[in-house]
Amino acid sequence: MSRQGEEMPYSELVKNFNKIREYMRDFYVYGFKSRDGFSGRSTRTYDDERRRIESWLSDYMQFQMTSDGKVVSISIDSRRRGHNPFYKAWKTKSFTDGDITLHFILMDILPEGGREEEADSPGTDQVPAGHEAAEGLTIGEIVDRVDDVLLEFPGARTFDESTIRKKLKEYCQEGIVLSEKCGRTVRYRRAGSPVPIDAQALHFFSEVAPCGVIGAYCADKQEEEKSLFTFKHHYITSAMDSEILCEIFLAMRKKNFMTVETVLPKEKRSRKGIFVPLQVRVSAQSGRQHLMAYSYESRRIVPLRIDHIVSACAGRVCAEYDQYRKAYEKIAPTVWGVSTHSWSGKRMEHVEFTVRFGPGEEYIYGRLLREKRVGSVELLDPEHARFRADVCDASELVPWMRTFIGRLSEVHFSNPVLEEKFKSDIGQMYAMYGIRSGEGGES
Amino acid sequence: MLFSELYSAYYNAVAAILREALEGPVTPDTMRRIIGKHASNESALTIVPALTDGRWPLLREDGTPVIRHVPTMPLTTLQKQWINAISRDPRMRLLIEADGEEAAAGLPFPEEDVLFTPEDVCVYDAYADGDPYEDPAYRAHFREILRALREGSALRMQVRNRHGNPMMVTMMPDHLEYSEKDNKFRLYGNASHRNDIVNLARIESVERCEREEVRKSRSVRQGKPAKVEFLLLDERKALERVMLHFAHLEKRTEKLDEKNYRVTLYYDGFDETELLIRLLSFGPLVKVVEPGRFLDLIRERLTNQSGLDL
Repeated sequence: MSRQGEEMPYSELVKNFNKIREYMRDFYVYGFKSRDGFSGRSTRTYDDERRRIESWLSDYMQFQMTSDGKVVSISIDSRRRGHNPFYKAWKTKSFTDGDITLHFILMDILPEGGREEEADSPGTDQVPAGHEAAEGLTIGEIVDRVDDVLLEFPGARTFDESTIRKKLKEYCQEGIVLSEKCGRTVRYRRAGSPVPIDAQALHFFSEVAPCGVIGAYCADKQEEEKSLFTFKHHYITSAMDSEILCEIFLAMRKKNFMTVETVLPKEKRSRKGIFVPLQVRVSAQSGRQHLMAYSYESRRIVPLRIDHIVSACAGRVCAEYDQYRKAYEKIAPTVWGVSTHSWSGKRMEHVEFTVRFGPGEEYIYGRLLREKRVGSVELLDPEHARFRADVCDASELVPWMRTFIGRLSEVHFSNPVLEEKFKSDIGQMYAMYGIRSGEGGES
Repeated sequence: MLFSELYSAYYNAVAAILREALEGPVTPDTMRRIIGKHASNESALTIVPALTDGRWPLLREDGTPVIRHVPTMPLTTLQKQWINAISRDPRMRLLIEADGEEAAAGLPFPEEDVLFTPEDVCVYDAYADGDPYEDPAYRAHFREILRALREGSALRMQVRNRHGNPMMVTMMPDHLEYSEKDNKFRLYGNASHRNDIVNLARIESVERCEREEVRKSRSVRQGKPAKVEFLLLDERKALERVMLHFAHLEKRTEKLDEKNYRVTLYYDGFDETELLIRLLSFGPLVKVVEPGRFLDLIRERLTNQSGLDL
């Protein structure tokens, strides 16, 4: 926050969310770095960001002394929390004294412009007390009314017409103020009063829907109601990428190109490229989010990790958008995770494996059926089932296939390098845990 | 704009203070109490002086507000677009009683677009046997449970157990748990042992009943605290993959040297098998070291595998 727009030395509010995004991710996802581990940033910057994050997330912060110094981490069991604690960070945007003063005065003096959304809103059950509908105010009338309010405070700053006009323009863009041109005069009104949205719907979707923080914003402006939900396998880190995700959605709706800047964690430099955003692919099992986009540089559809994107700006409309989307829809049934190309350079790779299960272990067959995604499953006999898939990149199946260790009776990849690696990794695991190959017998 | 002061905790706290001030003058102590609820404790150090010294000229010296109306803010375009988007999600109709084709087809804010469509987002690894959100019976059960949760009523349910046999469960419901990976809802409550968690898809009928009918266990099941410790070799981006994969659990990470880490995960003991196979998925880059019982489970799987002679 600032006095008349001047920056104060430390404030718990921030101007640019990217500034704290990386710190939060490091504290939460990794949680082992000391201050010295945050290379490239001054100790003052580190201390300020740590203090900010601590003021919002103090209940989840842990401190540990190691030989490298004090290590800060954020530890959250997301299953025990009804709400994503990282949303607090999204409610810390800095503003000036003038911003907040004008906000509450404008929202108070502007007449309301009707409640057009009332009839159709989901879960509405009451209409809030609001401002009477009336003709809007001109800029001159607004300036006078603001002055009238501030007259009570000798020495308080005043707002000139251009400042108020700028704020009204900003609010029109946000959709909370409506402007109407009557001849040469522009009149301003508040948009309709917010109509309460079902509180449980907000609780639920603010946790599971993309850009869920927007649901949390809606809930903040309503009467509080305890959430009836908890969440298992709940990856809350994606909250930190909400702004990027939102920009991506807005560009997709308008079929725009995007200039996307990415930074890989271990690389210092960033990369910029022009892309056509096509779909967001989300993993419920790892929380990772990828943007599937057509790349003009590589001339193909590629996945971009959304947490590696530092900026995403929409450009002009892409005339071939529908064409690229169709091309993506064509390859999507052969994508296991997000990879659209294999290391082998082959267009498609085949993978198949057989699992063995004993009497009473039919749930293993059930597991294959519910986890097969784009593959197919065949029951060979009462104790064996085979999985098969033809995919763009078979290496993406390896982690999942390892979850059947102990039951794999046959494994085959069309890519011999992958098959060799898969088998040698298992051999390495035998060595790690002191298992002699073949000692299990046919039990 | 998603990151905007319009949604900030400070604006929310000030709105709450002004709301209270319209009822009667507010004191700095009252302000601090309200700020503690809407923002952080440190926020009071900024907000209270700004409101009392006239820097934010919204409260008079006597603690009364200069505004005349209860402060509210219209929904922004972005909020309307997001609400439009979620209104198309089939799970919305579990929560909102908007039956009928008309309600299902229309958007809550027709003047605005949707922020995203179901085709814009693909959750590619959720399990295929998720709950039947479109099934009218499932929806009716869900709503009856929600009503009971809101009203604090007891429930009597006819449920199919995992062997497919019908059984009667009475429960004081506590909350619903949702797993995106399983794509399922489970109801947790106070009931007799082993009946305190019910998969919603297994419910055949549900109705409210008298509290006295419920055979209570001691408390709602909280999970069985357990932990596992493993060594991690940071090759093939294993550190990043493991840390993200287990990001939803409480954990402790220690860097041993440039490539080696020791990680302790805290998890619910009821999910032991799930955790076991998830650790196996990282292959030789993860080596479980504690507890011995968990180590034995890994060894058992590997021993079985070695007998299958790949």
